[in-house]
Amino acid sequence: MEIPYIFTPRKDTGLVNSKIAIWLFLASEVMLFGGFFSAYVYLRLGADYPWPERSLPVLPGLINTFVLIASSVTVVFAWAALKMRKWRQFQVYMAITVACAALFMVLKGIEYYLKFHHQAVRLHDYSIVEGHLGYEKEDGKLVLDRKGHPIEENMIRIKAEKISFSTKRYHAAWVEEMLAEASHHQAEINLEADITLVVEEGKPAIEIAKAGAPLSLELLNKIKDVHIAALAHNSQLRTVALREAWKTAHEANPGKKDRELSEGVGIDMEALKPSMLGEIPSVTFVVASPVELLFKPRDIKEGPSSSTLRDDTVITGKMEDSPMVFHYVDAIDFQWLVMKAEKKGIAAETAIENSWLMKNHDFVREAWEWHLKQTAKKQKALNDRYGFKKDGTPVRVLTEKELYRMGWKDLAEKGVDTKGVKISGFDKLKEEFMGPNYDARGNETFEELSVPRDQIRYASKFTPSWNNYYAIYFTITGLHGLHVIGGALVLLYYLLFGRKMYLSNPEWLANRVEVGGLFWHFVDLIWIFAFPIFYLM
Amino acid sequence: MADSIEEIQKSKKTYLAVFGALLVGTVLTVLVAEAPGWLYWLDVGEHGFDKWDAIVGMLIAGTKASLVAVIFMHLNHEKKLIYWVFFGAIFFFACLAGLLALAKGSPIFDYLFYK
Repeated sequence: MEIPYIFTPRKDTGLVNSKIAIWLFLASEVMLFGGFFSAYVYLRLGADYPWPERSLPVLPGLINTFVLIASSVTVVFAWAALKMRKWRQFQVYMAITVACAALFMVLKGIEYYLKFHHQAVRLHDYSIVEGHLGYEKEDGKLVLDRKGHPIEENMIRIKAEKISFSTKRYHAAWVEEMLAEASHHQAEINLEADITLVVEEGKPAIEIAKAGAPLSLELLNKIKDVHIAALAHNSQLRTVALREAWKTAHEANPGKKDRELSEGVGIDMEALKPSMLGEIPSVTFVVASPVELLFKPRDIKEGPSSSTLRDDTVITGKMEDSPMVFHYVDAIDFQWLVMKAEKKGIAAETAIENSWLMKNHDFVREAWEWHLKQTAKKQKALNDRYGFKKDGTPVRVLTEKELYRMGWKDLAEKGVDTKGVKISGFDKLKEEFMGPNYDARGNETFEELSVPRDQIRYASKFTPSWNNYYAIYFTITGLHGLHVIGGALVLLYYLLFGRKMYLSNPEWLANRVEVGGLFWHFVDLIWIFAFPIFYLM
Repeated sequence: MADSIEEIQKSKKTYLAVFGALLVGTVLTVLVAEAPGWLYWLDVGEHGFDKWDAIVGMLIAGTKASLVAVIFMHLNHEKKLIYWVFFGAIFFFACLAGLLALAKGSPIFDYLFYK
């Protein structure tokens, strides 16, 4: 089929069809992104926690803005080159455009990677610690998991004595992990009791598994199959019996409504019992010599004597000391703690003074005392510049963030100020892109800190689950990134395969590039708003 | 539409000028937000981020976006139909944003409301 009006304009609209199409699409895109930006405003205005202001590194964002603007210019130059029938020039400009898109995505990728590897934890008193987790070590060497990755010092350790699997669902990888861990410690995991069940209606019970049988996926699958089959059979029996009961009730009381009869309708479970098959909702295994199992915090709801995994597996056993260990702390944030305290009429200083961090970690106290001096200096500078109001209060005051958050730049400054930590210009530049440079500044600046499990209210990497700011940040920038990739692919297609179109009718390719370019400008346009909103406000 | 070669040559100069303006605008946005060193007077409103910073930031972004739309996307000489389509969408977005103003003072922005 030939598409009409792709290089000659339609008489009634005066436009080629593809151009109308792209503008309609862009109009829908305005609403799509408009919706998300409005969501951002709602989330920010309605936030019940200190909104993370200017928490992203500005330099990569700024460079990305330059890159996108430059690509907008080159794409329009590529179009102009086609209009002037300069194929070679078109190729050059288009190649630069696609290269800009790639650079944009690389910088964005680095930014995402750093966020996904940066840990935050909110304590019970609402103070927040941010930083980089350490890794499990044994005799000075990194311990690797079964896939060969280092294990973060954020694992829940349980001295497992018994493990009860739900026979409806269990995560095979976790079962294998437990088996591997147990065999590593030469421990056996064996079935606690005989499993004898009726598997056929009216027949005697048969033995499914014997006590002492070793844990294996095959065994679990076998028990699961029996359980699921019994569930299906028994529920079918109950359904038929209930239908029968309703039928009898309606026949005995003609004209009566369901709700009038519902009280008296039921199943006689005793009568059904002989035909029921044996169900076994969970199956328990005993760990012969209790072995320490490690679980990711997100996979488990831990308790002092028994914990539940996300697949409903219950691990009975004492939770060992399982602190979250920050190898490098790069921020201490009391903003939320102060917000909560002030709501209760408690002074900020008192609340911070009584926080768990201040009471338990000397370096936090030391840093805080240094920070107080710094904020006093900053406030004095503001007073000198702007003076005081008539009532004696300063015209300009420090923000809550400046007052109650010690970010990595503050800690770095403290390191330089109090300990004389010096780093090279290159390392400093790297910091502007990658955030705190742990290797260069070391533990003198970013100290170690261990948070006991029972102090943690919530912990997460800087992913969408940390707070709404990151949720909307990843949504909008992720969606924008997908647009960049999509747009770049289309432009790349014109660059690589446009020659044929160009030879058959140069205007055809020019129109295509104009349409692709319109989309590209729109992508730039979204970033023009996204950049200040996420990086500067 | 700039269709003749001369016109395109001429508009290439405009594109470069817009490019320069966009770069300046971007740097200006960052400077207004950060107000570093002797540029402290760029910090509008109160100290740190406040509504005035938001307004100035969005004004600069709006100007930059208009430049892109008008010059790069050729909205300065486009057919009527395109205006209807695009500005129609902008209008509806403005309505959506207007809902925000209506919602101001609504209990959804008071988190104690949910307690």
